[in-house]
Amino acid sequence: MIEYREFLYVAVTLCALAAVMSKNMLTSAISLAAMSVGVALILFDFNAPWAAVFELSVCAGLITVLFISAVSLLRKEEAFFAEDRTRFRLLPLFALIVAIGGWIAGWPFFEALADYARFGARGQSLGSMLWETRRMDLLGQIAILAAGVLVINSVFAVKKAEK
Amino acid sequence: MTISLLQYMLIPLFSALLIPFVARRRGRLAEIFATVTLLAGLINIGWTLLNPAVLASGFSALGEDGFSLLMIFTIYLVGLCVAFFSASYGDGRGVNTAYFYPLLLVSVSAMCGAVTSTDFFTLFIFVEVLAVASFALMTSDDTKEGIEGAVKYYLLTFPASAVIMLGLAVMLLSAGTFSFDSIRIIIYSGTSGPALIFSLALMLLGFLVKSGVVPFHVWTPDAYQGSYAPVSAFLAGIVTKISGVYAVVRIAMFLRLFETGAFRLSEVLMFLGMVTIAVGAIAAMKQDDFKRMLAFSSISQTGYIVLAAGLATPLAFIGAIFHLFNHATFKTVLFLNSASLEKATGTRDMNKLGGMEHAMPWTSWTSVIAMLSTAGVPPLSGFWSKIIIIIALWDAGAVTYAVLALLFSALTLAYFVVMQRRIFFGRKSPAAEAAAEVSPALLAPAVLMSAVIVAAGLLFPYFFSYLAETIASRMVL
Amino acid sequence: MSASFATAWYFAALLFFIGLYCMAASRNLLRQLIGLEVMSKGSLLAIIASGAMSNLSLAQAVIITMIVIEVVVVAAGLVLLVKTYRVTGGVDVWKLSSLKG
Repeated sequence: MIEYREFLYVAVTLCALAAVMSKNMLTSAISLAAMSVGVALILFDFNAPWAAVFELSVCAGLITVLFISAVSLLRKEEAFFAEDRTRFRLLPLFALIVAIGGWIAGWPFFEALADYARFGARGQSLGSMLWETRRMDLLGQIAILAAGVLVINSVFAVKKAEK
Repeated sequence: MTISLLQYMLIPLFSALLIPFVARRRGRLAEIFATVTLLAGLINIGWTLLNPAVLASGFSALGEDGFSLLMIFTIYLVGLCVAFFSASYGDGRGVNTAYFYPLLLVSVSAMCGAVTSTDFFTLFIFVEVLAVASFALMTSDDTKEGIEGAVKYYLLTFPASAVIMLGLAVMLLSAGTFSFDSIRIIIYSGTSGPALIFSLALMLLGFLVKSGVVPFHVWTPDAYQGSYAPVSAFLAGIVTKISGVYAVVRIAMFLRLFETGAFRLSEVLMFLGMVTIAVGAIAAMKQDDFKRMLAFSSISQTGYIVLAAGLATPLAFIGAIFHLFNHATFKTVLFLNSASLEKATGTRDMNKLGGMEHAMPWTSWTSVIAMLSTAGVPPLSGFWSKIIIIIALWDAGAVTYAVLALLFSALTLAYFVVMQRRIFFGRKSPAAEAAAEVSPALLAPAVLMSAVIVAAGLLFPYFFSYLAETIASRMVL
Repeated sequence: MSASFATAWYFAALLFFIGLYCMAASRNLLRQLIGLEVMSKGSLLAIIASGAMSNLSLAQAVIITMIVIEVVVVAAGLVLLVKTYRVTGGVDVWKLSSLKG
């Protein structure tokens, strides 16, 4: 009997394989979105609802929109070239080798790693964690959003100048 | 981060957000705004470091982390030089100043955030901000070369970030926290040693990719060579040093706290440093393009810092940090001057340049000072940092490394002397006949930096006491 | 508890490998971005599994920040893609090889 969480892991991995291997970029972007949904469900299962909501709205939503708009932008211009597909067809084989190798070598390593777990401050809520201990991270988020806005704007500014 | 250091991060960020609105109509305003912000920051940090009370007390009055303060000073110095230089350089080159300067300020702000953070995750965030801002800067003049450099940078630096995230995950597991102080205490308590070493090793791997140490140096020369000329100076002088090497030095400070077990990692670090010195120096000799030669020489200098960080004795850290500072000064001068040379002669091919000393005396002489400092000629600042590193290696019994480091330093010197004769001295080439000295505004940053190089060399005892007082005695316990 | 941790890390490593393989094998910048996305999902799984063992609210805070970083990185990558396309007329990264030596 496969448990719920294991099922999710397998589904996420399959979605990742589909995203990487599919020939059509649009299918790739949609598989990526499905993968994000799977990760969000895993986060819910790990009792991390806020992170899951972010994952669902930002990664499954916003990033997918970005990818699809890029795909449509490029498709119009017929920018796609024939890639050598054999490399991608070989991926499941390599993934299988890594999966089996990981089962033999990786699994005991991870179990040994788990022995070093240190139970930290569990009482703190997410809100107080973010606003009291991780205040600098919020500043970092502001900085990276500022950088992102400037980067995106700089491209569109050039576009306007060209017109 | 202490509150007093927060200003160095926040003010450039606010200024960066203001510029696109203020300078929408008039591009000049963006330059003025950026330069004034950076100048004010530089004066402020200069006063903090060098006010009479601090000097009189032999730097023991400084409350903050000396490494962070010195790095903030360096960041503002390089940032100011680059901003001032590009204000006169960029005329009519299709660079949108309303976005170039804000991105420059955002990266200054991100670097200040990175060096003042007291927490591995915060450090990681600011390094990411820096990566996003700097690869946008690389493509700011929209040339094919710039985009190629940026694509290579992007494709290597973000997988490296994913590796760092795995390292952070192991750290979260084994420590439950990211703060430097708590990690230090956990290392002393000796409970989760192997897992912590594993996490630091993963992070080290990521940051070594970001700093362009040899097996991962594919992107560095292309990024330095291809990007917009003032940005090359910014990248080589400070950006890759903060986003990679600074973190490597920080992590090395943690590695030496482990009683056993981390020495293997330190040995790997030293080995990579040595290989980097060798590969960078040898590859630099084969180049014809001035900027690409400088890029490989920069890789080679990074090797010295990594080598010293791997050794991890207090003296070695003093050498590494001082070399980090020196590298920022001399590589900024050289890259800015290569931009001036290109502007004046239209070429970067060293075979076509020659006898530039007659046509461009200021550019030539500041370059010569910076090159001699790179090669480690006394009494310039580069000599002192290299000699400290070599003495530290010798003291710790790593005689082979000390001899090799000395050997490659001599090799660098020999090569630079030959190259100076090729570019700056000797008979006037056709390129030199046609060229004229660039405007004083383009020379000022190089002259300022050269003055810093000479001053840091001559006032070396002050520097040494600063580093010994604030870094060796407080942080490297 | 430790078994669930090992499972999560096992799949995280697998995802990491798939993403890395995609980035190495592809010549298309857009597909490489997809590979990067898969890689960062792998590290996200690793972080939540670690957090569940030690400090869950810290892990949540970290993941929220990471997601914000991720979206900016992807957006910036797409900007780079647009710029590459505009300058070279394609998105083939192997055609970008004028710098050598």
